[in-house]
Amino acid sequence: MPANDVAAKIRDALNDIKAADLDDPRLMEVLSLAENLVDSMKTFFGSLDNSVHGEFLHIAKYIARTRDEIAALRPNDIRESRLPTAGAELEAVVNDTENATETIMTIAENIMELQPNNLEDYKAQVDEKMVGMIEACSFQDITGQRVSKVVSTLTHIEERIARFSNVMGVLDAKDDDDDEKDQWRKENLLNGPQIAGPETGQNAIDALFDGDISDDQLGQGAIDDMFD
Amino acid sequence: MAVDMAMPILVVDDYKTMIRIIRNLLKQLGFDNVDEAADGQEAFQKMQGGSGFGLVISDWNMEPMTGYELLKQVRGDEKLKGTPFIMITAESKTENVIAAKRAGVNNYIVKPFNAATLKAKISSVIGDF
Repeated sequence: MPANDVAAKIRDALNDIKAADLDDPRLMEVLSLAENLVDSMKTFFGSLDNSVHGEFLHIAKYIARTRDEIAALRPNDIRESRLPTAGAELEAVVNDTENATETIMTIAENIMELQPNNLEDYKAQVDEKMVGMIEACSFQDITGQRVSKVVSTLTHIEERIARFSNVMGVLDAKDDDDDEKDQWRKENLLNGPQIAGPETGQNAIDALFDGDISDDQLGQGAIDDMFD
Repeated sequence: MAVDMAMPILVVDDYKTMIRIIRNLLKQLGFDNVDEAADGQEAFQKMQGGSGFGLVISDWNMEPMTGYELLKQVRGDEKLKGTPFIMITAESKTENVIAAKRAGVNNYIVKPFNAATLKAKISSVIGDF
């Protein structure tokens, strides 16, 4: 019930008591004080009403904006279409490269097993197998296109998440705790090939094993290796 | 002392393709007696089986037992501790190379590598052939 209505009800009740023709001056004094109190409370609750109303309006607007921003992220499109497609493309890349490697390696092994009894025949067989090897290298074009699609998906997701984060002023929460397997991998496995080539080059490693440098010098050796 | 070209060599990698590549390179170098394992655990079991491997060429990144753990187990085993051991990895962070060296690895090869590098490293470990 709004504050004005409550105040009006109390005032009516006070008027009813006054109208009852009571003679006790102390009671009349109490009634007068009560009237003053109702007036004060009316002002107070009125301002409270406006303030709470304003807060709720702000929260409602924030929720609506959040919903709009989440909708702009197109989470269903990402989950149901883009990520599964990207995953399928990457699986295809793995399969394509595996098949191509298998083909190329088999041809190479076959060539190594050829018997060069007749030079002309030998050359014809090598040429034929080499063509097969060249054909197998076409995987690079296919996998390149597949990887481009995956990169495009990642860029799409990255842009939308970055925009959402900026608009909503999101701060990163604490990292989820790794499960046991992830923890084991973190502690025991290497991260795989580095983007700009190995941190420590083969030359620096050779120098370490040849005794030309000590363990402590390997870091500098690796740096030198990069500039040499 | 002349290198025994018939000695058994154990190649440890969880990628069949890499095992096949190393097998072919070893074949080109004259080593035909090659066995394989997909991780450190399988490799250690094979080594304990008494095949008398003259050389182990192992990747680092494998599950459930890594090549680094295999190296430490081999060096901690009274019968196997003298087995020449070459580590091959795609990543060569300084601390990893040093850790492997301190654990007793005989040499360390960074992927990708070629036949000449493999030959040079094997020679440095078991002698010229």
